[in-house]
Amino acid sequence: MKDIKGIVLAILVAAGVLLTLFFYLRGAGEIELNEIILVGIVLILVGLAMYIVWDRLKNVQKGLPAKDERLTNINYKAGYYAFIAAIWSAFGGTMIGDIFLGHELKGGDVTAIVILISGFVFVVSYLYLARKGN
Amino acid sequence: MKTRIKELRARYDLTQEDLAKKIGVRRETILFIEKGNYNPSLQLAHNIAKALQTTIDDLFIFEE
Repeated sequence: MKDIKGIVLAILVAAGVLLTLFFYLRGAGEIELNEIILVGIVLILVGLAMYIVWDRLKNVQKGLPAKDERLTNINYKAGYYAFIAAIWSAFGGTMIGDIFLGHELKGGDVTAIVILISGFVFVVSYLYLARKGN
Repeated sequence: MKTRIKELRARYDLTQEDLAKKIGVRRETILFIEKGNYNPSLQLAHNIAKALQTTIDDLFIFEE
């Protein structure tokens, strides 16, 4: 039951993200290239998250647990990598603005970079470690 | 680390999925332990040994 609750919650969060993205794009008017890239990354993240949810659902349907000690360890490891990526992307985000754009990025832009990069690192390292075994 | 899980599974005519259901883990976890790609916790090693009616010492072959 706990597994099913987690899966339903993940689907609701993904639906919420997609709905927010839809309303954002509808009200955005003309969309710039960097916004298209950000939206693309969000869609990739949602897609990968849905793959993880589907994988868990498949196990629950077979009467197996959605998550066990191996996946819990992988979660911790991927979370650690995402944390390191968040620190470096916060640092790198401000540097990129200074070096390449000639001005500092706004706080909101840096926050978006940090969330997207750390989210991406989490999902990719989770999937990699899950396939590797440990 | 090598294991005798596959051999003992065959003795009791258990699939990876059957064993996974018995001890409450995912099938992939059994697969990775068998291949030596995942070192289980002591608790999980104990549960597998119990399910296969053997001991941890007999189930896992530690190489120095």
